[in-house]
Amino acid sequence: MGFEFALRLTEVMLALALAQQSLEQIAIDRRDAPWLGLRLALCAALLVPALAAPAIWGLFGLGLWWLWRYDGSFNGGSDKMTLLILACLSAAHLAPDRFWAEMALAYLAVQLVLSYVISGQVKLMNPAWRSGEALRHVFLFSAYPVSEGLRRLADRRLVTFWGGWLVMLTEVAFPLFLLHPLALLAGLVLAAGFHLSNALLFGLNRFFWIWLCAWPSLIWLQGRLTS
Amino acid sequence: MIVLRLLRLLLPALIPSWRFFRAVAASPRIEVRAAGSADWREVAPRPDHLSLARMCRRMLWNPRWNEALYLVSLAERVVEQGSAHAMHELQQRVSKLRPNEQLELRLVFIDVQGGALMREVLYQSAPFGGPC
Repeated sequence: MGFEFALRLTEVMLALALAQQSLEQIAIDRRDAPWLGLRLALCAALLVPALAAPAIWGLFGLGLWWLWRYDGSFNGGSDKMTLLILACLSAAHLAPDRFWAEMALAYLAVQLVLSYVISGQVKLMNPAWRSGEALRHVFLFSAYPVSEGLRRLADRRLVTFWGGWLVMLTEVAFPLFLLHPLALLAGLVLAAGFHLSNALLFGLNRFFWIWLCAWPSLIWLQGRLTS
Repeated sequence: MIVLRLLRLLLPALIPSWRFFRAVAASPRIEVRAAGSADWREVAPRPDHLSLARMCRRMLWNPRWNEALYLVSLAERVVEQGSAHAMHELQQRVSKLRPNEQLELRLVFIDVQGGALMREVLYQSAPFGGPC
């Protein structure tokens, strides 16, 4: 995947993901409709290639307002990834030359890989994750399962044990998927399954869409490093 | 001060720690009652069952659940950081659910100790809200 295509694809996917977030947010906080409406308009502008740069900068500015308004994130890690993507795309459009624009997109790809590796590493270091107890506790009493029925999965010890190990190993081994385009495809399919499970079981729909938005940067970087 | 606050909020996004689910800590539930009554009710309780079709629809439209997760995050900020902003937000959002009522809320944290689920109240508010 070429650099320009990866950048443009990220912008289009981001516009759609932020529009989805903004519509949900208007339903949650109606009094914030004016600035969320502006955010929607900037998402529409981002779909027009000629308006991409000012739209990205505007969305980054509103991202700062979002942080101010909610005194941090509203939706945890998905808000952080949203701002990270906006910051990297803003930097890519502000870059004085192609080298620095590529560095900005590469930073996003590196952070995407780190999001899996660090998350897997900290779990692996925790005995509760290695024994399967941690994932059992997520289902048993955490605030995440979307229905009481899902709490019964806490009693399926084999599911929580092997599920926990599958998550940890996939996350920690993620850099290995960068060795070959087909390996990366396999890695992204596994990651998509992981994000989809989180979205369905724990209602983390915004995580699913925003993490997908960072994927073009990784596909581009993998090709750039191995070509 | 504005710049410092923005930097404090922005830096974790630009240089994220990505330590998702490092440990499964005690989990908050927000409970509310009419001021003075004995009837505590959980705010935004989850349904007993959710069909696969409903879960799939929530991929595109999930505002109530995302707000419920925000309430959980606010409860953690109140207990861990003593955040006045988080308490104000919590009271405002709970008041929206039961307008024109004077309410009290409490934050109950659930954890496992010795294999059994334990509930501990870590915060209880003074009465708030009511007819304007």
